[in-house]
Order: sequence, then C-alpha cells, then structure tokens
Amino acid sequence: MSVQTPDSVLDRLWEPFEAQSGSRRSLLLMSPLILFEVLIFVVPFAMLIRISFSEQSRNLPYAEGTFTVASYIEVFQSELLQGIITYSFKLGIIATVLAVVLATFYAYATWRADGLLKSALLFSIVLPLLTTLVIKTYAWVPLLAPNGTANNLLLAVGLLSSPVQVVPNTLGVVVGQVYIVFPYAMLAIYSVLSTVEWELVEAARDLGAGRARSFFEVVLPEIMPGVTVATIISFAWSVGAYSAPALLGAGSDRPFALEVQEQMLLNFNWPIATALSTVMLVLMFVSIVLIYVVLGRFGGDISDAA
Amino acid sequence: MRLEPDRLGIAAFRLGYAAIFVAMLLPLFIVIVTSFSASGNLQFPPQGFSLKWYGEFFADIQWLRAFDNSFIVGIGTTVLATFMGITAAFGLEARQGRLGELVTPVVILPLLIPPVILGVTLLVYFSALGLQSSYIGIILAHSLWATPLVFFVMQSVFQRFDWQLRDAGMDLGANPIRVFIHVILPNVKNGIVVSALLAFIISLQEFVMALFLSNFQTQTIPVLAWGSLRQSLTPTVSVVSTFLILISVGGLIVAALAMNLDFVAKRLG
Repeated sequence: MSVQTPDSVLDRLWEPFEAQSGSRRSLLLMSPLILFEVLIFVVPFAMLIRISFSEQSRNLPYAEGTFTVASYIEVFQSELLQGIITYSFKLGIIATVLAVVLATFYAYATWRADGLLKSALLFSIVLPLLTTLVIKTYAWVPLLAPNGTANNLLLAVGLLSSPVQVVPNTLGVVVGQVYIVFPYAMLAIYSVLSTVEWELVEAARDLGAGRARSFFEVVLPEIMPGVTVATIISFAWSVGAYSAPALLGAGSDRPFALEVQEQMLLNFNWPIATALSTVMLVLMFVSIVLIYVVLGRFGGDISDAA
Repeated sequence: MRLEPDRLGIAAFRLGYAAIFVAMLLPLFIVIVTSFSASGNLQFPPQGFSLKWYGEFFADIQWLRAFDNSFIVGIGTTVLATFMGITAAFGLEARQGRLGELVTPVVILPLLIPPVILGVTLLVYFSALGLQSSYIGIILAHSLWATPLVFFVMQSVFQRFDWQLRDAGMDLGANPIRVFIHVILPNVKNGIVVSALLAFIISLQEFVMALFLSNFQTQTIPVLAWGSLRQSLTPTVSVVSTFLILISVGGLIVAALAMNLDFVAKRLG
C-alpha cells in the first residue's frame, strides 16, 4: 500500500476539474453563492408576492390557491395604512438628512486625523456598527428618559426648569435611528474620501479658497459617490426602522415595520402583511432610483463606492 | 486680524467631532456601567455598585440557553458565509465577466431590504418548507447578511494578492488546488480570519430576522434581550449587553491586529 502525501491527495482532487475550461471553473466557484441567493432570496420573494395576492382567511394565515387584489386595495384605501406609510417615509427622510450631513463631517474629520486620533475615531464608528440593534436603541433609554442622565444633568446645571420628554417620543425615535444608521453612512463616505488626495484641497486653498469653499467645490464633488451610497443605505434602513420606534417611540409613532409585524405574528393576516411589504418595497425602490439619479447629477458614480 | 475667525473655525471643528465621538460611545459606556448597578433601576450614574446582576444572569437558564443558541447560529453562519463568500470572490477574481457584474448587485441587495421584510419573507418561505423556528432557518437568514461582507473583504484581499505568484506556481507544475493551498492561502489567511470574525459578529448581533424566525427554544441573545426589555428595564439586560459589546471589542482588536482598523472599517462601509 502506497502512502499518500497530502499533495498527491490535492492532485487527485483536481482531476475532475482538469477538463473544464477556465470560465466554467470560475462559474463553478461562484455557483454556491448564486444557488444560495436564488433559493434563499429570489424564490422567497416570489412567494411573498404570490401570497400578497391571496385571499384572507379566518383560521389560516392565508387562503391557498386564491387570487385577489383585495389586500392591495386595502393598503391604498385605508387611512390608517396610509398614515403608517407616510410616517415611515417622514422618518426616513429626516433621519437620512441628519445622518448623512453629520457623517460627512465626521468622515472628513477622520480623514484629516492621523495616528491614535484616527484609530479612536474609527473605533467609535465600528464598535456601534457591530453592536446589536437592541442595545443601540436601549442604550438611549437611561440617557434620555425624563429621570435620565441628560435631563438630570441639565436640571442640575439650571439649563432646564423641568424634565423634557424625549423618550418615549418622536424626538427619541429620530435620535435612536440616526445613531443606528450613522456608522454605515460614515463608512460609506469615508471609504471614498480616503482615496482623495489632500494636495487637491491644498491647491485650492493656495488659490485663495476658504475652508468652506474648498470643501464644497473640491472635496464634495469627489466624494459624491460615497454620499450617494450613504444616503441610500440610511434611507432604506430608516424607512424600514423597527427597533427605534418600538422602543423609543410613543404609541403614535407607527412605522410600517411595526404594522407588518403585528399583522404577521399577532393577527395572522399574511395577505395584508405581504401586500404592505410589497408596496413598501416598490415605493422604496422607486425612491432609491430617484436618489441615485438626483445625486448622480452632482457626480455620483455608485460603482466607485461599492 | 485674519487669524481669529480661522482659529474659531478650527475650535468649532474639533468640538464638533469630539461631540460626535462622545455621542457614539457614551450610550454603550452607560450600558456597561449600569450592569454593575446595585439597585434595580437603570440610573446613571448608579447609586452603588455590585455584581448581583451578573449573578442573576449566570443563574438564569433562559439566558444561558440563548447564549448557546447564538453560538450555534453564529458558528453555522460563519462556516456557510465564509465558504460561499470566499469561493465566489475567488471565482470572480479569476474571471472578470458578465456574470461578475451580475453577482455583485444581487449580493448587495439583501443589505438594502428592511430586515422586517426579510423576516416576513423568510418566515413565509420556511413555513412552507417546514423550517420555521429551526437553527437552519436562522443560519440561512443571517448568511444573507454575512456573506456579502465576506465577499467584499475577500474580493479586496484577492485584488491585493500578487497573481504572478500563482502563475509561478502553475509554471512549476502544481495544479490549481495545490497552488491555492500552498501559495494563495498563506497570503490571504488574515483576510479569511477577519471576514469569518465579522460574519460571526454580524450573526451574533442580528435580531430582527431572528425575532421572526425563532421560537422559545431557538431564540438568540438579542431576541431574548428584546423580549425582556419590552417587559421591564432591569440591569440584567445591561449585563447581557456588556457581554455582547465586549465580544465585539475583542473581535475588533483581533481584526485590527490582522488587517489594521482602517482596512476593516473601509470594507464594512
């Protein structure tokens, strides 16, 4: 019996692939991921859409094999559902604007910093990014509650005469949501910004441009692809916000994610939950294309940023 | 007097980013401190310090099971996502073609879909397959998010690899699998460690999809934390949060040592 060396095993392993062409081989390498995306992403979504066209059922999640557009009519006619959609979009727009403006500023500061300061600024972004949504939202409760740290501090200093109700409140939802999307926005901008050469800004300054002008006319056009990605990510995530409104919001703060969850898990009304999801996805997709086109006019080529 | 407003500007700039720095880390810091609170409320600064909430945590079978569940799901996700992400990134690097242009957007897309919608979609799908509330279902869901991350980290690692080394190996008569193990792997192993670590952390921390796809038996730590938060605010949740934060800090330190923080940060964006 001959002893096989590890390398001869590798040679054996290669034999079945020997005859394949190079492109077939790379297709083979990509096939697990492609198969996964089809089975766990594409097919489930086809099913979601199919169920949204099913009839509601009294004792089952949905009536199998039926076809109706009743759930869509309900989504478009019900004032409650319209209010929920409007709320989601409002939250999406406000949180996105705040997050992207602050993120651009912070990315710029990180870009200009070096050594330990740069590492500290990056750490302050990556750590919250890798912390669960649950903690990120919950962490604001002891800070912002009526008897929380911020209120107590401001009362003690005399800046407030009575506690401000931030949590639970819409203001708390916005704070929490900006906190959640900020790291993603910042890193999207930072990864583009770090390829920009500082000499360009110096040249502009030598030619007499001020800080603000050199930023808006030299830096901003260069980082527009990053800003576009940041806007799209922040928007998609904030429209779909779930944890911040649920934990930091008042009862009237109802985004579609909470409604979908309730219809799905409490009311077992799958047609309405899936129809609302589909409508939101379409509206979001249209908005994202719109953001892409509008921001693209200012020099955003998304392929540079991804 | 041209200097004065300039100095003021610099001061405002520093104050601005210092404020954001504090706002990013302060909430997490407060959570950690409240886990050592002596009383049952979440006051900061706490009135006294004790380890009693840590004792409660370790005595609670429910939390310990959730810890096991998170670990099972995390390992499963890491293995699956790392395998798919590495093979796909490697295949893409070997051939820049039409297919590659198609793979990238499809891999990004799940990251842009609100997790609640992904949760609903997969719940519908897994219910039909009889996989609802199973570990496999949650692992597959988490892989939707972890795989793109591995894919992008590995893509840029492979791009920095000197492909002439591979050609040299092939010229010397080694077959591609041998070349991969002896030439490519030693050069990209840090990237693999980092992406596997990130995949694990992503899975450990995800909760909206897990909320839809788990039950009492299979719930992960964030899901259980969410459930108990909605009932009452006790420092036990701070204890759990402290562990989750520390695991991320530990993972980040390892990742930063292997690849440097700047690289890791850029790939996450």
